[in-house]
Amino acid sequence: MENVHKLKFESPSFIQRLKGMLGVDFYRLFHTPMFYIFLAIAAFIPALILSTTGMENPDGTMSPQLYTNVWNAIAANTPLYTFNSIGEYANMNMVFIFGGIMVSIFIGHDYKSGYVKQLFTTHAKKQDYMMSKSITCAFAMACMCITYLLGAVVSGLLVGLDFSVNVGSLLIAILSKMIMSLGWASLYTFLNVIFRRYFGVSIASSFFFGTGIPIIAIGMIFGNAAGSVLNIFLYGSSVYACLSSNIVTLLVCLVVSVAWALIYNVLGTILLSKSDVY
Amino acid sequence: MNAIEIRNLSKSFRGMYAVDNLNMTVPVGAIYGFIGENGSGKSTTEKLICGHLVPDKGKIKLFGRDYKDAGVRVRVGALIENAGCFPNSSVWDNLMMQAINLGLKNRDEEIRRVLEIVRMEDSAQIKFKSCSLGMKQRIGIAMALLGDPALLILDEPINGLDTDGMRIMREILVDITQKYGCTVLISSHILGELEKIATHYGIIRQGKMICEISAQEMENRARVFVSLKTKDMQGAKDALQRKFANVREEDGYLRVYDVNNTESIVEYLLKNGHVVNEIKKNKIGLEEYYIELMSKKEGK
Repeated sequence: MENVHKLKFESPSFIQRLKGMLGVDFYRLFHTPMFYIFLAIAAFIPALILSTTGMENPDGTMSPQLYTNVWNAIAANTPLYTFNSIGEYANMNMVFIFGGIMVSIFIGHDYKSGYVKQLFTTHAKKQDYMMSKSITCAFAMACMCITYLLGAVVSGLLVGLDFSVNVGSLLIAILSKMIMSLGWASLYTFLNVIFRRYFGVSIASSFFFGTGIPIIAIGMIFGNAAGSVLNIFLYGSSVYACLSSNIVTLLVCLVVSVAWALIYNVLGTILLSKSDVY
Repeated sequence: MNAIEIRNLSKSFRGMYAVDNLNMTVPVGAIYGFIGENGSGKSTTEKLICGHLVPDKGKIKLFGRDYKDAGVRVRVGALIENAGCFPNSSVWDNLMMQAINLGLKNRDEEIRRVLEIVRMEDSAQIKFKSCSLGMKQRIGIAMALLGDPALLILDEPINGLDTDGMRIMREILVDITQKYGCTVLISSHILGELEKIATHYGIIRQGKMICEISAQEMENRARVFVSLKTKDMQGAKDALQRKFANVREEDGYLRVYDVNNTESIVEYLLKNGHVVNEIKKNKIGLEEYYIELMSKKEGK
C-alpha cells in the first residue's frame, strides 16, 4: 500500500465541531439565492405597506392610513399584545414570520437533498446540528431586520412620512428585535426537526408560531395587562421591543431569546438523539 | 482490531424487525461485500452504523470505539442510497461544503485530489442536478473520500450503472483501498462485480447475518464442476451417474460436480456411446454460493 492508513482517532473539540458545521451552513447560506431573495422580501414588506397606505382605491375611496410616522413600521409606540388595526401588527415582527419560512426551506433542503446524512455521519453529536442551524438562521433573520429597516426608511422618504422619534429607544427596539432572532431561529429549527419528514407541515407550523397567534389569543383574553407574563414568550418579547423601549427591554429580550434558544436546542438535541434522523 | 464489530444489533419499524440480532465483523483493511436480497436489512444496518437510525438494542464498535465517538465518526465516509448533494449547487460547492464540515485545511487541494480519484477533474463546475447517474455515484464516493476516511460505507454504489460505469467504479474502489488503505463496507446486488474486489463477505437474510466468509475461504470451499451437452442428455446423465457421485441437469447442461478433468469425462462418455458436443470447466462463484446458501435456508 502506498499510503497505509494511520488508525489514530482524535476527537475534535466542541469548538472545532461547531466551526465545521457553522462553516457549512454559512457557506450554503451565502452561496444559494434563497438568502438574498428573503433579504429582498424583508425590504419589500415595509415598502409595500408604506407605499400602498393612504392610496386611492379603484372605487375612488382612500385606503386607511396605517402610519403617519415611519418608525411605526418598525415597532408600535407601546407594547401591544393585541391590536386594533393591522398597522399596529404589521411591523418588523413580520420578519420573524418570513424568517420562519426561510428556516423551513433551509433545513428542509438538508433533508430533501439527503445532505443531512453527510452531516450526521461525521457529526455524532446532535447538538452541533441544532446550534449551527439556530445561529446561522438567527444571523439570516438579523440581516432581514436590517434590510427591513432600509426598506422602511427608503419608502418612508418616498411617501413623505414623519421621521420624528426617540433615537435611543428606536435603536434599542431594533437591536432587541435582532437579538430575538436567535430565539425565533431556535424555535423554527426545533419545529423543523420535529416535522423533518413533512416539509409542508414544517412551513405551516413555522408560519403559525411566527404570527404570534397563541400569544395574541392570550392577550385578547387577559388584555394588555398580561404583558409582563407574555414577555417571557418569544412573541411577547418581540412586541415588548417598541418605540418606548429602554435598556430593560434590551435585557429582557436578551434573556428571553437566549433562554428559549437553550430550551429549544436542548429539546431538539434530545429528539435527534432519541429518534431516527433520516 | 476490527474496523466494524457489531453484536446483537436489532432495529424494528412498527414491530417488524429490519435487523434482528445481527452480528458482524469487518477486519481492518477489508473490502467487505455485504450481500442480501431487497429488504434483507443491508441499508438499515449501514444507516445504524452511520448513526442515522437509533438501534433498539445491540452494540456497534468502530475501530474498537463506540460508534458514537466523535473522533471515529469524523473518519467515516458514507454513500447511502444517494450522494446527499444539493442539486442546485455545483459539484465543487458540494465538495467544498463537505470539506468545510470536516474542518479540512487544504480544501481546494483535497477536492482536486478526490475529483482526480473519481475521474471527474473536468466536471467540478457542473451543477449536481445536471450530472448523470454514474457521475452522481462518483461524486458520492468523492464526498465520502474527503478527509482521510478510515472506513467507507457504500450502499449499492454500482446499481444502475452501465458496463463502463461499473468498470470505472471498480477501478476506483480498488484504487482507494490499495492506495489509501481504507476499510470498505460495500453492499451490492451485482455479485459478479463484488466478487472481483471483495476480500470478505457477509450474507444477510431477514435481518440476520447467516454467513460471514473471507474470499480466501470461499475460494477454498468453491466447488469445481464440468458442464457439458450431448445429443442424448438423459442417456449421458444415466451413464455419468454410474461413475460420478454428483451429476445434475441444470440450465440445459449436464453438470458433473467436484470433477475438473474434462478428458476423462469425454473418454468415459465415448466409451458409453455418447458424443460430447460442448464441454467446459466451471467453478462455483459467489453468485452460485449465495443461491445455494439461500436455497438451504429456505429448505429447498
